[in-house]
Amino acid sequence: MKDLIIKITGTSGQGIISSGDILSYATARKGYYVTTYRAFPSEIRGDGKCYYTLRISEHQALTATGDTDILICLDEDTIYEGLNKIKNGGILIYDKDIVTEPKENKEDIITYGLPITAISKELGSERSRNMVALGIAVEILKNLNLEEQILKDIELRYKLKPKEVIESNKQALNAGIKYAKEKLQRKDNYENVKIKSTGAKLIMSGNEAIGLAAIAAGCRFFAGYPITPATEIMEWLAKELPKFGGKMIQCEDEIAAINYALGASYAGVKAMTATSGPGFSLMQEALGLASMAELPIVVADVQRCGPSTGVPTKTEQSDLFAAMYGTHGDCPKIVLAPMNVADCFYQTINAFNFAEKYQVPVIILSDASLGPRRECVDLIDFDKLTIVNREKPELKEGCEYNRYNDTPSGISPISSPGDKYGEHVITGLEHTESNAPTPEAKVHRQMTEKRFRKLETAAGQFSKAKTYGSDNASIGIISWGSTSGPVFEAIDAAKEKGIEVQALYPRTLYPLPTDWIKGFVKNKDVVIVIEANYNAQFKSTIVERCTNINKGTEVLEFLKYDGTPFTPEEILEEIEKVAKIQNEKHEILTNKHTHF
Amino acid sequence: MEANDYKGRVKPSWCPGCGNHAVLMALKKAMARLNMPTHETAIVSGIGCSSRFPFFMSTYGFHSIHGRALPVAIGLKQAKPEINVIAVGGDGDGLSIGGNHFIHAGRKNPNITYIMMDNEIYALTKGQCSPTSRIGTTTKCNPYAWTADRINPVLMALSFNASYVARGYSGDVKQLEELILGGLEHKGFAFIHIISPCVQYNKVSSFEKIKELVRELPADHDKQDRVNAMKYAFAPEGVYTGVFYQTERPTYEERYKEVIAKAKQLSGDNVTIQDVMKQFQ
Repeated sequence: MKDLIIKITGTSGQGIISSGDILSYATARKGYYVTTYRAFPSEIRGDGKCYYTLRISEHQALTATGDTDILICLDEDTIYEGLNKIKNGGILIYDKDIVTEPKENKEDIITYGLPITAISKELGSERSRNMVALGIAVEILKNLNLEEQILKDIELRYKLKPKEVIESNKQALNAGIKYAKEKLQRKDNYENVKIKSTGAKLIMSGNEAIGLAAIAAGCRFFAGYPITPATEIMEWLAKELPKFGGKMIQCEDEIAAINYALGASYAGVKAMTATSGPGFSLMQEALGLASMAELPIVVADVQRCGPSTGVPTKTEQSDLFAAMYGTHGDCPKIVLAPMNVADCFYQTINAFNFAEKYQVPVIILSDASLGPRRECVDLIDFDKLTIVNREKPELKEGCEYNRYNDTPSGISPISSPGDKYGEHVITGLEHTESNAPTPEAKVHRQMTEKRFRKLETAAGQFSKAKTYGSDNASIGIISWGSTSGPVFEAIDAAKEKGIEVQALYPRTLYPLPTDWIKGFVKNKDVVIVIEANYNAQFKSTIVERCTNINKGTEVLEFLKYDGTPFTPEEILEEIEKVAKIQNEKHEILTNKHTHF
Repeated sequence: MEANDYKGRVKPSWCPGCGNHAVLMALKKAMARLNMPTHETAIVSGIGCSSRFPFFMSTYGFHSIHGRALPVAIGLKQAKPEINVIAVGGDGDGLSIGGNHFIHAGRKNPNITYIMMDNEIYALTKGQCSPTSRIGTTTKCNPYAWTADRINPVLMALSFNASYVARGYSGDVKQLEELILGGLEHKGFAFIHIISPCVQYNKVSSFEKIKELVRELPADHDKQDRVNAMKYAFAPEGVYTGVFYQTERPTYEERYKEVIAKAKQLSGDNVTIQDVMKQFQ
């Protein structure tokens, strides 16, 4: 077996996320690859539904979607939705004490209705249901040898809690295992399932990867304001930054947060903030200040559905326009989009390097499907990372230092408070090279060009757009950020069906890598831009910025804006549809040809 | 250091007779008395007439955006506590658009000095009412009547728990110098409210009018007594100047030192990124 999908569903407050997390850590620590998808409501307890999907595999999977092997259901309302996605021969485990047996059950699946609540109550509280259920699954998948590691992970997860918490979780897990061993009449074929363990790897969430990369890049200052789904970044840095002498400061609002970070950056310390849509809107003015005053700053936007408060816990890629064009004026900045958890790490390293080198705000566009999701990351060799620091001027007594020297690269060395003979004033007003404010026409023109020249200098340094799939494919896909994962899986599936597709995924979205995009599009008959927003934000940018892109190539869009991430299946369906139309067109052309 | 050593590259752009000239002079003199090195001092401001201040000084300076002097200044101070940080700005900048940050600066108690030059008007935009404008003020934006009451910055600072609260008046440079000196020497968030009349757009609160209103706090006022300080801030009989309140409590930076110490107890002093990575293994 190459991969195995386990899904746990229930109500908010039942511990669905905890049991899912424990299982994913344990699988990763046993050397399997795991990737996850979490969906949960804003409410802490109550009627909200929680879904936790894990895909355990021999190779790094790009999505956690696909048909379910084992569905563990602790809540009546989630059962039918999950049921449809169980594969043939797959298993449904439900808590028969609180969930009624599905009336229209699928015939080709194995159903175990088990007294999960009763077992939990015997241990003293129905609150241990989640761990009882996990124990049952562990016994069913006995061949994966997860038991011992899960017990260790329970200890790790609750090490700061009272001992009883650890004990009751362990007892519940063991009770589940015991029940499955002694009382469950097995009808399924999962007893012998084996997945190859591939050795040591890391497991972390996209948000944690951004935090880890920030520290690795030398960031020692973070200011933020809590917001779903980005809060985990500040929580993680609150715990880790002080160990390095750094600071995580919780501010009164997002406007304060980014301005604190700008103050820190001016002090010469690498600084960042992280937020989601509403906070990102509040930060726009300060992003313009960073651009004008040429201060390095990194902002992670973990996108959720918008506009306004939108759907705080669900995903979307609809902040692209805000990231590219949000602030007023001609504002040079850099926008990066990571595609998976590992990429969250490496793109954040890039973000700090670009910010420091080119003295611009750098925005990282993550999203609600990527930020909270835990998955494996191959071991990171920190010694091999390139870390860039801002260029310092040579300061001498009697030599006046001009902060905004107009250089061929556009980059002017920065001094920081504390540096002798480096005193200067920075400002959001248009200014001369010697930082005096001025409304003069020729200065505004000159300095605007200077600031944008930095992006031209940077252009060659950006991580190139990458491709996936065959160069000979006549169908192309352009995607960005987390959508690229399901796109690649769809391309693999299409290949098995005999359809060749190639994907292009730009790593830097702004400045737009127009040459790569044009080169890619030119060689295709049709290109589909796939993104999770209503306005086709990336497609319309491409069409607008890449002159004549439509000439000879049809550029289509495939969009989703319901708060859920793309699945490979729906992308495959779209590919097949487009391929069919292409074939028909081709046939018409060929037929015409024979008539001549 | 001499006061003149703090003269910046840019010549003050304020109108002749503007109250802010006196504040500039008082700050330079106070800094000279403390021998504050220019390269170890940063002056941070937002937007407004008085916010042009950093350009007229030879220290480091950050002229930021409207209302955000305090968050920039506090961020700077947290990142590099060894730098002397002075935030400056006007009543519109600090009480209206930036009012929220004022609240939280008080309770956090960062070791910075905040000088507010209050001319009771938006002057850079050519005269509109501000949160401290008096009933009776008319401008192009309110040609018939001004319809909101004033807020009281000293009372605000006292209730936000600022640890040094003083008020001065641009007509008395000598007293200003002493109040600013006190603020610079104070450990914690020092707020100095300065009534600094606008000669161009505010005919209601002129130098002459303010001169009639101001009076020094009684010599026997107990600076540790916050409730009594509030009474003087409320006083209907006039506008008191001097130090209303001064107390010592841990600064934001000092409290964060404890955070770092606690974290390092867990991690040891020489933690590496590889050590931190282990939690993901």
